[in-house]
Amino acid sequence: MNRHKCFAPMSFVLLAIVTTMAVALVACAPTAPVAPQPAPAAEGPAQPVSVRLWHMEQPPHRVQRIQQLIDEFNAANPGIVVSQEPQNWGEIYTKAPAAVAAGNAPELLFAIPDFTPILKDLGKVQPMEELVAEMDALYSFYPTAVEPYAYDGHTWALPLYNMAHSLWYRPSVFAEAGVEPPKTWEEWEAAVAALSKEGQYGIGLPANKHLYTDQVVYDFMVNAGAEEIYNPDGTLRFNNPQTVEAYDFYSKLYRFSPPDSPNWTWGEAEACFANRTCAMILQFTVITTYDTQAEGDPSDLGVIAIPHSPNVAESGTIAYSNAVMLLTEDPAKQEAAKEFLRFLLKPGNYGRFLNMEPGLFLPVTEAGNNDETFWNDPLAVKYRSQIETMVENAKNGRLFGFTNGNTFPSIAAISAQNLLAQTLQMVVIDGKPAAEAVAAGQALMEEAIGE
Amino acid sequence: MIRRMRNRVFLAFGVFVLLFIIIAPFYYVITSSFKAPQEIIARTPTLIPQSFTLQHYEKLFRSSNFPIYLINSLIVASGAMLICVALSTPAAYGLYRLRLPGGKLLFRVILVTYAFPGVLLLIPLYGMLSQLGLIDRLSALIVINVTFTAPFAVWMLRAFFTTIPPELEEAAALDGATRLQALLRIVLPLSAPGVASVAIFAFITSWTEYMFASVLILSDANRTLPVGLAGIIGQYQVDWGLLLAGATVTMLPVLILFSLVGRNFVEGLTAGAVK
Repeated sequence: MNRHKCFAPMSFVLLAIVTTMAVALVACAPTAPVAPQPAPAAEGPAQPVSVRLWHMEQPPHRVQRIQQLIDEFNAANPGIVVSQEPQNWGEIYTKAPAAVAAGNAPELLFAIPDFTPILKDLGKVQPMEELVAEMDALYSFYPTAVEPYAYDGHTWALPLYNMAHSLWYRPSVFAEAGVEPPKTWEEWEAAVAALSKEGQYGIGLPANKHLYTDQVVYDFMVNAGAEEIYNPDGTLRFNNPQTVEAYDFYSKLYRFSPPDSPNWTWGEAEACFANRTCAMILQFTVITTYDTQAEGDPSDLGVIAIPHSPNVAESGTIAYSNAVMLLTEDPAKQEAAKEFLRFLLKPGNYGRFLNMEPGLFLPVTEAGNNDETFWNDPLAVKYRSQIETMVENAKNGRLFGFTNGNTFPSIAAISAQNLLAQTLQMVVIDGKPAAEAVAAGQALMEEAIGE
Repeated sequence: MIRRMRNRVFLAFGVFVLLFIIIAPFYYVITSSFKAPQEIIARTPTLIPQSFTLQHYEKLFRSSNFPIYLINSLIVASGAMLICVALSTPAAYGLYRLRLPGGKLLFRVILVTYAFPGVLLLIPLYGMLSQLGLIDRLSALIVINVTFTAPFAVWMLRAFFTTIPPELEEAAALDGATRLQALLRIVLPLSAPGVASVAIFAFITSWTEYMFASVLILSDANRTLPVGLAGIIGQYQVDWGLLLAGATVTMLPVLILFSLVGRNFVEGLTAGAVK
């Protein structure tokens, strides 16, 4: 007997139709639980201009601070509705180009220098030199904040805040070991050795193939006089004696770093410092972590400029000028977005904007540095001297691929693959001589940028 | 007798070691989520918490959008689970019982979707979903998760159906049952462990899915747990307590689901292994 012939095939067709309809219904159903939305505009035109802002400041307190400013702006500007959609740095390099290609791009998108060329190549980023000039006339930008975004005849983003590495330590730990804060590499190496004892590592240095390692390696390069990765004609000059010196010195200090540092990102380094395992680290800031997870004693938190090689006159550091790009071609939206940015950079608002993460984000304008709302935050009051030092260090900030008025957008490919960090791994993990590793690193970079 | 005892002790020791390896990370995450920040990052880790605080959970639920992420994940994972079960059950049954033209070939190639790394499909899928107006919709994630879970679910269920004697359905047919009635009243009840295992598989896959959720969802209001959690712990500064509290709460629904139907899951996985 054929056991199949007793059943009606129609039943299965019916089931398939019902299931397909169910899928279609779910797929087309409206989503979204209710979520916090920007405050509604007060009485105003029937259709206010909407401006979507994508930024990568996702921690809740930063989102809240930005929302607070957005609410104030929306209330004061009934014809404009700004809303924020926080994104993640981890995905934005994929997500933003996909959104641009699909026509879903936001009007405003936060950026760092090596992210801007990627969007610019898609033809969506709008020149902003007029607004930059207007804001510069009012508030005086630090030139190093604007330079990384000025190339190909335009300025492609408006600088908003700065971040720069410094050397963090505890004065009490230094005093106990009889060590003075180092200024040169020789002093630094001696200090690291003197501070290394049972239960304490003289310094915490990363060796992960990660952006944090790129940044710390570049700190060493800047302080060896190797901040230029490119020649003025755009060819690579990574393989030079100064870079070799930087990698060689890094490997000397790395011997005093904790054994798990090949896996570090920023958080692990901070934890190492906060729990007193590392006597020194290089970081943008440790203030919040030190205040909430360590002693919180401002008199015992030291910050200085990163020591430099004897061949270099003064200390430098890596610095990221964070900015915002305009991605809309609609004149009404452009003007609305610019109005919001004018609001953001205005003293009184700007300090509060920077203090969405007190002690991390530094002003990019003179007016911002004098903005009372920047210095009135309780954490800024408590750690004022440390923040002042950070601001001072940031003035000597550099960023690979964007130095001395030369901007090379192809650095995005080098940065995306963490090739500075990969070169370091050849030295500190594979045990290659620095000169050999740097030569191999340059070959990798040439391959990455298609030279 | 002594030999038997020795074997039992050896087995018990093996079970203990295995349990320790599996449970230790969960124990550490859960207990640490109640520690004070200083103790979490202390130089010497504490196995038994020396402090107790709910501050991380308070921050998680009061200061972040974690509750929204939790609801979104529940919607996506439950939706994907239901649709996956609803589609894969008749599909697996049809492939096993019906004489479909090309049915055998279809069954063999159905897992081909797994041969493609998801990241390769990301941009094309983004474009397709954008044209359908499904970007920043939870429904897009449901569709994607069903797409990736249903093929394996069909494979798993078919293996399970092969263990059910066809004579049972023949008897039902002789009593006048249609094929659908036989599926619903005879086959499905007997396949409960298999269906449960498919459901858990679909739920967990959707619950932990990160890549598509991170790219297809734009607004915070529609973010799911893995992506939302990655955002709120911060980049340059990690709030370890918040991270641990978030991880603990994220584990709960999966643990609850497993405790309810875990036994069925194990039975479902082993179905068809022995005839």
